[in-house]
Amino acid sequence: MNFKQLFERAKEKNIEDVQVHYVADTKLDIEVLKGELESYTIADTKSLSVKGIYDGKMGTVSTEIINDEVIDFIVDSIIASANNIDSEDEVFIYGGDSIYQEVNDLYNKELEEVDAKTKIDFAFKLEETTLKLDERIKMVQAFYSEVKHKVHILNSKGLDLSKEVNSATAGVYVIATDGKDQRTGIEYIQSNVFEDFNLEEIAKEGAKRAVDALGAKSVKSGDYEVILENKASASLLAAHVSMFSAESVQKDVSLLKGKVGEQVSKDLISIVDDPFLKKSPRSGSFDDEGVATKHKELIKNGTLTGYLHNLKTAKKDEVGSTGNGFRNGISPTNFYIEPGNTSYQEAVKEMNKGLIITDLQGTHSGTSAVSGDFSLQASGYLVENGQIVRPVSLITVAGNYLELLQDVTEVCDDLKMNFGYIGSPSLKIQSLAIAGNE
Amino acid sequence: MLERKLITKVLEEALTTNADFSELFIEEKSQASASMLSSKVERVNNSKTFGIGLRVAKGFHSVYGYTNSREEKDLMKLANDLAQSFPGTQEKRTVELGEMKKGSNHQIKILPSSVDMKEKIALLRRANKAAREYSQVINQVMVSYQDYEQKVWIANSEGNYVHDVRVRTRMAIASIASNETSKQQGFNGPGGFHGFEFYSEVINVEEAAKEASRIAEVMLTADHAPSGKMPVVIDNGFGGVIFHEACGHSLEATSVAPGMSVFSGKKGEKIASPLVTAIDDGTIQNAWGSANFDDEGHPQKRRVLIKDGVLNTFMVDKLNAIRMGDEMTNSGRRESYRYAPTSRMTNTYIDNGESTFDEIIAATEYGLYAKKMGGGSVNPATGDFNFAVGEAYMIRDGKIAEPVKGATLIGTGADALMKVDMVGNNLLRAQGMCGSTSGSIPTDVGQPTIRVSEITVGGRKAAN
Repeated sequence: MNFKQLFERAKEKNIEDVQVHYVADTKLDIEVLKGELESYTIADTKSLSVKGIYDGKMGTVSTEIINDEVIDFIVDSIIASANNIDSEDEVFIYGGDSIYQEVNDLYNKELEEVDAKTKIDFAFKLEETTLKLDERIKMVQAFYSEVKHKVHILNSKGLDLSKEVNSATAGVYVIATDGKDQRTGIEYIQSNVFEDFNLEEIAKEGAKRAVDALGAKSVKSGDYEVILENKASASLLAAHVSMFSAESVQKDVSLLKGKVGEQVSKDLISIVDDPFLKKSPRSGSFDDEGVATKHKELIKNGTLTGYLHNLKTAKKDEVGSTGNGFRNGISPTNFYIEPGNTSYQEAVKEMNKGLIITDLQGTHSGTSAVSGDFSLQASGYLVENGQIVRPVSLITVAGNYLELLQDVTEVCDDLKMNFGYIGSPSLKIQSLAIAGNE
Repeated sequence: MLERKLITKVLEEALTTNADFSELFIEEKSQASASMLSSKVERVNNSKTFGIGLRVAKGFHSVYGYTNSREEKDLMKLANDLAQSFPGTQEKRTVELGEMKKGSNHQIKILPSSVDMKEKIALLRRANKAAREYSQVINQVMVSYQDYEQKVWIANSEGNYVHDVRVRTRMAIASIASNETSKQQGFNGPGGFHGFEFYSEVINVEEAAKEASRIAEVMLTADHAPSGKMPVVIDNGFGGVIFHEACGHSLEATSVAPGMSVFSGKKGEKIASPLVTAIDDGTIQNAWGSANFDDEGHPQKRRVLIKDGVLNTFMVDKLNAIRMGDEMTNSGRRESYRYAPTSRMTNTYIDNGESTFDEIIAATEYGLYAKKMGGGSVNPATGDFNFAVGEAYMIRDGKIAEPVKGATLIGTGADALMKVDMVGNNLLRAQGMCGSTSGSIPTDVGQPTIRVSEITVGGRKAAN
């Protein structure tokens, strides 16, 4: 598509400024099950999102049909969209920053040069290795998934930015059974360096998660001291991340509203948004609005320092954008609780009686970023006198996320990123309400 | 769409190695959406998507590829790349494409694309006004609107060639009630396989909005739910999500065929209380989860999954039918060209029983009345399910008592199905989006009011 022609046509129709966001993706997905290639998917897609300021409002449109014939559709849709918006928020098309931090390792050509056969063989070997680890393992689904993502932002104010990232995830989904009980486990590694995919490590960890949970039973209802394992803690943080968005704050749907400068968690907790994290596909030097990204400490030793902003929310609060303007809204880049000094083993050893929660289910429905209240199905282990006694399942854990952050007594050193970009170390929580079978 | 000649050529190119089946899914979709917050229209968007998915299979093994390109060279390259997954040679296969079949079981009166955006926006304003006027405690309302026309052409190497147009629209209202100490949200999201007539002939926009506010207001004064095991009465409509999550997913061939489901190999066996008959029906007139054809090009149909407690049929797509040696039930669905199809639910519900709502409540000494369910999820391997209750009350001495918040129901599907001990006669369906291997698709859940004799309720208080 001739973007110059689009910009000209927009101008003729009195659209003040226009920005195009062009994305080209290629994908490879491999799944191996029962010694067979269960699924193999290749994809090559391109999409274009365009926004433009018309009569002071921001009109938007997106299309996967990208040729000169849709220029009129784009221009007309921007006008129709802008004409119907009555939000009075000031809108922006950004001219650019003077400095963008260089981020070097986003794209690794070598990953792409490893041929598909090697990646398929890796998945076969991963399944085979995991199956052999324990005779109670009934089934293993091994997967390898790779994506290359190119972004190009161009606007009528002269902004012209592009980036290319690639990333892969390799892992196993394991089902174990002892004849009476059946349990599942999942483990994966994400990186853009093929050598990082340590086959033995993934197999061992995935197998352990399923096998160790066999024979899991519920526990007596009551308040328990809890170690929230890194991945479980990260999934809970992910469900509450919108609290940190200035958009949620300004719309009065965030519990953190009006709390900048206040102690909102134990001083053991610091939470950062780090757009320069190595080997993360979410890293990059600019956001979708073309603003330079930066490293931020949102909670510093328990004190809330600010929110995540895009250009619109920043203007309202009279601050600068934090470079978190993604997809017409606000998103974190790599968002995580900073690791502490305690080792996970030590945290378990020092627990008199309590629970380790390794997995939380239903975080998309059993949480509310508006109230912070959560009630979630959980599984893990029962700990007595510093020792894991038995696996636990079919319990629910309930509480309030901000209260939980106030109740943290220990932050472990085992930071793990979940869902690619939200991470946490394991946390020890003084007390959480557990509903079990009695 | 593509020329017949090109479709044939691509399908044939995919069979130049050792594969025995190829299928093209061509999709053109136009969509409009708008949302309102704080009584202001915030976002209005139009979008066009276009893409082509190609599936190539031998037996039940398949590979998949997709692209936005309609250029012959790109499609031939995709076919060739995918064909390489089935090394070998065979006699040249020719594809005889049949007449293009079209479906017309669901009448659309007003195509959304013919309606000016202004009229769609007017719906948002009406809903917002009604939701806010419902009560003083409602101080934030979010309303969203969406419609789409999805045109698909599905052609396969067996010569089957169909064209289907899916027109759907949905509105969602989220009302937030708050006081000094708490904020609670109520939600309602009616939708259908309808055009713009949905808002004048099928639903009342104001009533739909008030329902969201009613829930938020009730929950604002609710105390925390108790925890422990107790009888649970799950109301009709969206209450059917319990069956969808806890049992429906485990009856899909996707999890049954590889032996990952608790119901694998149990056809003909008793898996539920004899009071339970469950149906998946993709043919219901203008229902949210209906279509003329499934996404593999076969006519949609009605499937009796469980008959009087006995497992009657699974939901089976084309390739899993081969894998399981079972009959295909035309259950292949997908979100878009970006997904290979697999067996999925359409409009899935527990059928009517004999009891009245009042009888069910009166017969319950102590328990939880889950009036509006929230979302949930299930692990198909273990059948463990969990879901949140959006609006709940305690039942005491056979009467509905005080509202409670923050309740979660957890258990296993197989166990809960067996423990259904009363089934009402007030079947109602409600709309949802179901996410799984082949993407997020519209599905109806449904049931009459039912009682499960015992479910673990997770709340923040000890039972009393």
